[in-house]
Amino acid sequence: MDSYFDILSALILLSSFLLVSHKRIKSYIKTFRIQSALIALTAGIMGIDSLIREGSFDILIVCVIIVLLKVIYIPRLLYRTYGTVEYKVEKDFYLNIPLLILICCGLVVFAYFSVSNIGSLDGAHLNLQVVNSFSVILIGFFFMISRKKAIGQMIGFLVIENGIFVTAFFSTHGMPFVVDIGIFIDMITAILIMGVMVTRINEKFESINLDKLKNLKG
Amino acid sequence: MGLFLWLTPLLAALLSIIIKKTKLLHTVSITSAVLLLLLAGYATMAVTAQGTLQYPLFWSLFYIDALSVILLDIVAVITLFVSIHAVGYLNEELREGTLRESKIRLFYLLMHTFLFTMVLALTVNNLGILWIAIEGTTLASTFLVGFHNDKHTLEAAWKYVIICSVGIAVALVGIIFLHLSSVELINPDRALQWNVLYQNAERLNSPVLRLSFLFILIGFGTKAGLAPMHTWLPDAHSQAPSPISALLSGVLLNSALYSVIRVLSIVNKNLGDSHFTGRIMIGFGVLSIAVAALFILTQRDYKRLLAYSSIEHMGVITLAMGIFTPMSIFAGLYHMINHSLTKSMLFLASGNILQKYGTRNISGVRGLMKVLPVSGTVFFLGLFAISGAPPFSIFASEISVFLSAFAEGRPLLGGVVILLLAAVFAGIAAALFRIFFGDAPESCQSGETNLPGAAVLILLLILISVSGLYLPAPVKELLTSAQEIIAWNGTI
Amino acid sequence: MSFFTADLISGLISNFIQFLLILLLAPLSGGIIKKVKALSQKRKGAPVLQMYFDLWKLIRKESVVSDTASWIFKATPYIVFAATAAAAFMVPVTTLVPSAISGDLLLLIYLLALGRFFMCLSALDTGSTFGGMGASREAMISALIEPSLLVSIFTVGLISGTTAVDQMMNTMKAVGVPLLHPVYILCFFAMIIIILAETSRIPVDDPATHLELTMVHEAMILEYSGRQLALMEYSAAIKQLIFLTLLVNLFLPTDQLVSLAGISGAGAAIPAVVIAAALALYILKIILASLVIAITEISTVKFRFFSIPNLAALSFILAFLGFLQYFVLGR
Repeated sequence: MDSYFDILSALILLSSFLLVSHKRIKSYIKTFRIQSALIALTAGIMGIDSLIREGSFDILIVCVIIVLLKVIYIPRLLYRTYGTVEYKVEKDFYLNIPLLILICCGLVVFAYFSVSNIGSLDGAHLNLQVVNSFSVILIGFFFMISRKKAIGQMIGFLVIENGIFVTAFFSTHGMPFVVDIGIFIDMITAILIMGVMVTRINEKFESINLDKLKNLKG
Repeated sequence: MGLFLWLTPLLAALLSIIIKKTKLLHTVSITSAVLLLLLAGYATMAVTAQGTLQYPLFWSLFYIDALSVILLDIVAVITLFVSIHAVGYLNEELREGTLRESKIRLFYLLMHTFLFTMVLALTVNNLGILWIAIEGTTLASTFLVGFHNDKHTLEAAWKYVIICSVGIAVALVGIIFLHLSSVELINPDRALQWNVLYQNAERLNSPVLRLSFLFILIGFGTKAGLAPMHTWLPDAHSQAPSPISALLSGVLLNSALYSVIRVLSIVNKNLGDSHFTGRIMIGFGVLSIAVAALFILTQRDYKRLLAYSSIEHMGVITLAMGIFTPMSIFAGLYHMINHSLTKSMLFLASGNILQKYGTRNISGVRGLMKVLPVSGTVFFLGLFAISGAPPFSIFASEISVFLSAFAEGRPLLGGVVILLLAAVFAGIAAALFRIFFGDAPESCQSGETNLPGAAVLILLLILISVSGLYLPAPVKELLTSAQEIIAWNGTI
Repeated sequence: MSFFTADLISGLISNFIQFLLILLLAPLSGGIIKKVKALSQKRKGAPVLQMYFDLWKLIRKESVVSDTASWIFKATPYIVFAATAAAAFMVPVTTLVPSAISGDLLLLIYLLALGRFFMCLSALDTGSTFGGMGASREAMISALIEPSLLVSIFTVGLISGTTAVDQMMNTMKAVGVPLLHPVYILCFFAMIIIILAETSRIPVDDPATHLELTMVHEAMILEYSGRQLALMEYSAAIKQLIFLTLLVNLFLPTDQLVSLAGISGAGAAIPAVVIAAALALYILKIILASLVIAITEISTVKFRFFSIPNLAALSFILAFLGFLQYFVLGR
């Protein structure tokens, strides 16, 4: 069981690297969908395991919610938001891609040094999984910083959320059920709100380039 | 009975969807605020009598103790004042034509949802739900910040939702680690419940808990506007409609700090001392005060100036919690109350000024005393109060924070902070005191337009002046028991 | 004469047979890739064995050499072929038979690099613009892909404690299914990108094109003809098979399956059945790997030359992450 989670955690980390290496908003959305599917797979495996062991459906329900929300609904919402804003291929990042990737690599090393020495994470597998999923969070942050477009930032936020979710899964086998559901509600609301904001920003600023949001200073 | 605390704002939010008449909306809003105040009063009495108020319903989610009841009371009082002021404010906006009547429903809907999430945050036991509620406050208030829907407010709202959501996400990582530190000790049904964690604090896994505290401080600290994560705060506070600014500054920042304090108490109990948390919190506190002082000195926009002053006061409270002696904790909590009342008064007054002069620029406002006799006077005295001049209540609490720093044997810290606060005082005085005098622009007619708002301002002014001179015994008792919750048994 | 023991001789013989097998199979994998691509485009395509016919045809033709070319141009095909063939000698097809020469992976890489170096020189030698352009591009690609190649080799080498190819294969055999292991799966993906770049496949270079803007490998051998061209093409095919063999033998070891199924495979006398099964599995894996390459080629487009650093960075990251996972896992 653990070796599957090891691989899944590595693949989830890999998918966030793929995300960083993409240039176009559509490929971000596609990669996000792949990442979410991997997370749903993780939750599915864990859910079946807990169903067999404890007879609880909680994690399986969470898995279904992930599929519905993160694999189907949110990517579609993002595509729709992307469709409403003006279509223009612009450079969306400040640094070039190999450099971005190398910085993310540094983030993984950082995650390794900061997380792997915690006393309780003594199991090697747990250690690996938490390091990987924690790196996903850090890469999500970095993705947000490195992109200029509003949709890129939304994706970064979602990647952070994904990273947090898998961190919770790998370290504690999920948060309490109520909390998980609440987090989903918050997340979908946040994405809806951000989507509306993107449309409005596009109306007012005639672009979703956040470099133009520089009126408020001091 | 306590559950009505949740139902009242929810019901008000629902009614705001259904009702179309503006007057009725105002009535609903004020009624719910009064109800909320009564319920908070009930909760206060129950807590003073029994220590805690909790029900076994809903996975025993509902939990109020002395610490949360203090913040709940602040919420209730400020909500009442703000909703009264909002009536006048919105009517004035309608009269000027800057607001369409249909948007008032949206305003109230979002405001009541915002209040609901805030009340929820203060009355839940489960730290996970607390996180959800705090994130909920961000989401509910995003469109309130961007209410006017122009370029500036949109920018402020975008920054607000992005920075706060990301910050809060960091806090979620912290909560996961908190869960991890306790996952082997605590029954899954009671996982993340604050009182259970607190009772078992000594047995939690310390290294994980330390990491968790860092994340939670940075995460909720973002929401509380601690430097260097404060960048959203001046934008959001200055661009939001003034009643909302008052709520954001007076209530929201407190609830974010409240979440930090909840975790702080667990971590300190686990570690047995406050060295670890103290250093970090004092660092953030002093940095916030310093950054705020710097920006106040160069500020040209009076609402932004007030926002930076909020950062400064959050810094003072964080500092007090970092020093972590009974006296400093008491002073910090007391400062929370005082800052909330004073700052929301100032924001409400600034709303009147903004409506009258139509500008946020300090240089555009002159002769305030003549144009707005009541708001002007209140603003004038309020500025004294916020910069820590006696006899107002902020003076009393701020001085106790410094004294506790000196008493703890940190004269350097106390000295530095006093210097920074002097700079803040000078900044506020230099920037703002000229707006009261001189000749008003010709376009301004003198006279108050928001009469209920003016009445509220006077009430608040009385409140902060009286409480600076005399602290009623029940309040003192409540503060003491809250302080004992944070610093277990008062021993450090 | 105790140096030539029976073990050594039988090892040498088996090495030599494996070497011949690789030389023999080399044009096949390119043929499979071409056929799959043709089928995906609803074309009938050339027969799978077309490359053998091409080589046979080219060998019989005379070669034309430019007047300005120096001896380097004439010597290069032989040097490239010799280096590639020497590299092929080090790659065991299966671990079940004894081997006398255990090739070192680093030596293998640098033998191939030697061939590439001379190829670049000869391309510059003729003074044609295409050759110069191809050489400079080839040099850049190989410089970009080098770090990830080395890191992924070192990662696998670190785990097995050696860079000798056959011992690395033994280690991977002991792992069982390396693709179910976070370290190896990342190195595997890195290796696929490396192969695409090293063997001039599509996202990096298009082997089918003769468009001056896009070609890299083709530009370098543009001036060759006849027997020399045959040698160059053949070397490229061998190089591709070497990489594919490394990929499948390291990351998809099947020898343990055969020895489990075989009748007590240990000892001196290994039944011919077992070896035949191992070889059959090997050929199957090569076909599979060729299919994977073909599908990758079909489903991607050639990158702009300036996007290749992105690909190289990604492959480096894959290798490096694998390396890191090894440390995190504390194996």
